[in-house]
This record gives sequence, C-alpha cells and structure tokens, in this order.
Amino acid sequence: MTGVKSMIGRLIWLAAVILCFAGCATTVNDRGDPTQVTAIVDPPARPGVPDLLIAMPTSINFAEVRKSLVSEVQKNFNVHTFAVGPETKVVDLATAVETTKPVCVVLMNNATMSLYRQYQSHQTTETPPAVLLMASFVEEVQTHLKRATGIAYEVPGVTAFVNLRSVINAPINRVGVIYRPPFRQFVEHQKSLATKEHVEIVAISVPNDVTAAGLRDALHDLAKAGQVGGKIDAIWMLNDNGLVRDEEFVDDAWRSELSEAKIPLIVGVSNFVDPNSPLGTLAVVPDHEALGLQAANLIFDLSENDWQVEGHPVELPLSVKTVVDVKQVRANFGLRADALKHIDKALE
Amino acid sequence: MTKPFCRPRHVPRCLAWLFLGAGLLQAYQPPLLALAEGNKPVVDVFLQLDAKSSVVEKTLQEHLPDLAITVFGRYRDFEEGLSSGHPDAILSITPVLVQRGKTPSLQGQRAGKSSEPYVLASVNRPLEGSLAGKTIGVVDLLGRDGTQTFLNGLLKETDLKVKRVAKIEDLLPLLEFSVADGVVLPSSMLARLLESTRLTIKTRELTGAPVGLPAVSVLSPAIRAVVVGAFQKLDAPTKRLLGIDAWSVP
Repeated sequence: MTGVKSMIGRLIWLAAVILCFAGCATTVNDRGDPTQVTAIVDPPARPGVPDLLIAMPTSINFAEVRKSLVSEVQKNFNVHTFAVGPETKVVDLATAVETTKPVCVVLMNNATMSLYRQYQSHQTTETPPAVLLMASFVEEVQTHLKRATGIAYEVPGVTAFVNLRSVINAPINRVGVIYRPPFRQFVEHQKSLATKEHVEIVAISVPNDVTAAGLRDALHDLAKAGQVGGKIDAIWMLNDNGLVRDEEFVDDAWRSELSEAKIPLIVGVSNFVDPNSPLGTLAVVPDHEALGLQAANLIFDLSENDWQVEGHPVELPLSVKTVVDVKQVRANFGLRADALKHIDKALE
Repeated sequence: MTKPFCRPRHVPRCLAWLFLGAGLLQAYQPPLLALAEGNKPVVDVFLQLDAKSSVVEKTLQEHLPDLAITVFGRYRDFEEGLSSGHPDAILSITPVLVQRGKTPSLQGQRAGKSSEPYVLASVNRPLEGSLAGKTIGVVDLLGRDGTQTFLNGLLKETDLKVKRVAKIEDLLPLLEFSVADGVVLPSSMLARLLESTRLTIKTRELTGAPVGLPAVSVLSPAIRAVVVGAFQKLDAPTKRLLGIDAWSVP
C-alpha cells in the first residue's frame, strides 16, 4: 500500500513538473501545460504584404510568445500559424511552408525544429530563413539547420545572479554549479558572462548517470568552503533532467544536502520555490511576452538586412521573471529594503 | 451525537451540491459588484518605474479607491487596453500622451520641474561624438516607429539601430551581453541601474531634450474633477513611487 502511495505521489510530482514545465529530452524549462491548447486566430491577411509562418505547439507559454510577437509584427507581415503536435509530419510542415511561401519561418520547440531540418534535407532549392525560439540549446540546433538564427531559451546565469543580488543582503561573488558533460560548453560560456558582473562560477562536473549520493557529495563539496577554494555565496541549479529526475531524487540529493547549508539556491523552474517545502530561494524564468518582443526585433533586423541570417548570432534572452521564497530569504540571508518592489512573485 | 453532514460515501454528492450552491450564489452576486465597479472612472497607467507594474497597480488601487486603476507594464498591452477598454483617463509620460493626441489635465513635477533629462549610459567610457550607426537600447514606450522617432529626437541622430526592450530592467542585459553600444533611460532611473550592476557605467546627459514627467490626461470631461481630485490627494510615498513629488494643473 505504501509502495502504491509512493508511486502515486511520484507520478503526481512528475505530472506537476511536466505539466508546468514540459521540457525536451535534456532540459526542464518553463514551457507551460502541453495539454492546455490555446485557440489561435491569425489576423486577416492583406495582399502585397510579406508572409510570416509561425510553426509551434499550441500550449499556453508558446501562445504567450506568439501573441506578443504577432502584436508587434502584424502591421508589417501577414501571420500564418501552423500548429505542431506529436502527430505532425514533415509533409504537413512542408505543405504549410509551400502554401504560405513565407519570407521567414518562426520555429518554436525542438520537435518543430527537427521537422524543419527534415524538410530542409528534402529540398534542393533554398528554404526560408528560420528564427528559432523556445528550444533547448538553440546554438547547437542552429548548426544543424540552414539559414537559421534565434534566441536561446536558457536564462544566463549572470541574469540570475544579478537578480539574486537585488533581493538579498548577503554578497554574491562566487556561485557554485554542478553540471553533467552535455552542459560543459554552456557552463563555460556562463563563466565568461558572469565575470562581467564580477561573479566567479565554481563548477563541479558529475557523470551523466550521477546518483543521488554522487550529487549529494558534489553539493557537499560546494557547500564546504575549503573544498572549492573558498566560500560559495550561492548555488545555481541547472535545468537538467539528469539532476532533477523526480521528487525523491530532489529530496535525496538537493534538499537533504542543502537544508542545513544556508546557501541561497537559484533555480530555473518556479515550482521549486515553495515556502512550505523550502528548496529554491529564487527562480528565474523566461518572460514570454518580452521574448515575443525580442523575437519581433530580431525579425525586423533580419528583414532590414535582406534576410541575411547566417551572420546573425543566436541572441541571449533579455527578459526574465522572478519568484522568491521571501520567508527563506528573511530567515537566512536578509531581505534588501526595496526587494519586494522588484520581484514578480513573492512567496511567504 | 451530531451526525456528520457528509458521510465519506456521500462526499461526491455533497461536493456537487456545494459547487451548485456556490454557482448559484455567484450567479446572483455580479450585478451589484459590476455596477459598483462600473461607476468608477477607469484609469489606464503606463509608466516605466523603479517597481514592478503589479506593485504600482496594487499601491494605486489602495490609494485611489474611487478609481478603477489598471497598470500596464508593456506598450502593446497598454495600446490594446486603450482600444478595448476605453479608459476615462490615462496616466503616462508626456510623449505617450502626445502620441495619442491627449493633453495633461494634471502634470507631475519633481523638484519644481515638470520634465527630466534622459541619459545615455554605456560601459567603460561615455558615448561621445557622433552616434551614427550605433545600437542603442531603450524601453518600448511608443511602439516600433514611435520609439525610433523618440530616440532620434533625444539623440539628435537618425542613423540609429534601436533595440527595444519591454521593461526598464531589461536594459542592463543589453550592456552585459554587449548587444547595444549604449542604453537610454530617464535620469531618475540611473541610480537603480548603477545599484544593480558592477559594470563600469559611464553616462552622457541628454540635456537638450528633457522629457515630460508622468501626467494625467482625463478623457471624459464629466469626471475630470473626480479624477484630478483623487490624484491630487495621493500621499508623498505614492507620488514618489510615480517618480514625482507634486502635481500642477496646466
């Protein structure tokens, strides 16, 4: 009976994480409930106006980005939205592209990009340029596509660290992070970005199949000042499914090691911040409406540059939302005087 | 001994009745509430301040109980709100009001002035000389074309690449990621930027083109006195939150 209860609890936890933050194979992200389909209506098309095709899942977070994007570009482009689901085939996407003849396609999520890659591989002529959004490791995806650029979805560590500084009184100069090998390049890039804000990232590598005990040991090393050359001011949890597999794993590794450590934990998933079950101190998640504006700016830039996509590097996301466990901050790190004015969601 | 109202096996039925009852109650309540809300003048607010728009909205709602306040954090939402909500008044900075052909009924002031200079902030050295071809970040206050025109006027340069961001705090990443050569912001917001970052920020004050401070434009003459009176009664901390310390009637 206990086993069944435990399994049900685990399933509920998994469902909550998946429903709220459905990710792809490697990362967990704030991508909304994939089952919550939003009705999408494109603005009426006008003759003589260039066409833009948006290929995307219809769950709520994608729809938020689309709404903001469309409100920005609809004066300049006819927008056609093509809903992508698990049943969508390459031929469906090909038909959408060939029917609408867009000057640019916007591709949201890794599965959609994979379909477009297959579509490109069957084409002998040039395919429309693509703007990639809301996918894991967009820079890596870009290398597998022709004529593509986009905006990374992972929130840069430096953005999270600056936000943490604006919330707590304790100084943030050294931040620890634990990563698996697929994240090595990402972490290296984050180190150089963080330097600009005078933050040193102390990174510890763990194997791909790290166990809860192995992760706990790595966290212990980070938390113990002497093991990593000095005191760590915060720990940054990467959005990696391999490090946050399920509730039991999170309890065994993260909660058990950090509950006494009194080190702020930055997370990238808002439901890891909960004063009733303390874990994350601050969640920093993408601001989807602002992402739509950034995507629109990118599309306008490309259009003014005759759609020369190749020379345009993948951009970093500029805007985030913050969720803070204010109770934990007050108790352990000191809440800055004006912090509440700058937090999107303060939980107590 | 009192019998429990809902025995375990009757819980689903009880819940059903509870929902039905709640639904009926709700069905009978809205007319009164809607009427009360409907009588309040509707004020749309669009400002870039040193606080989240949700905080500003909550504060204004508490201090202006006779007005129905909605604070918009982004230009497009504000624009949509204006066209769909038909507000009775708007609180925003002068360029936003002017773009819509509105005139201030109540002008905010700070230290006796009704406008403030904007500053051009950059990393390590100030952006002096010609700005032709430079990429400049700015909060989207007036839409794509309007913001470009606004920035051209402030910087007295038409050959600019404008990076619009949704919120004032998004200007810092433009500098951190070296996406923009500089960012333009109100001088009153500079302290917040400097406090947030360890980048070496240098500034150039754009003295030639001061920008009007927040002002209220009442669109329905019939409720002008109510709206103006309510805003004039705001306490000092709330006015400070809006970036002003006094009101004047133009």
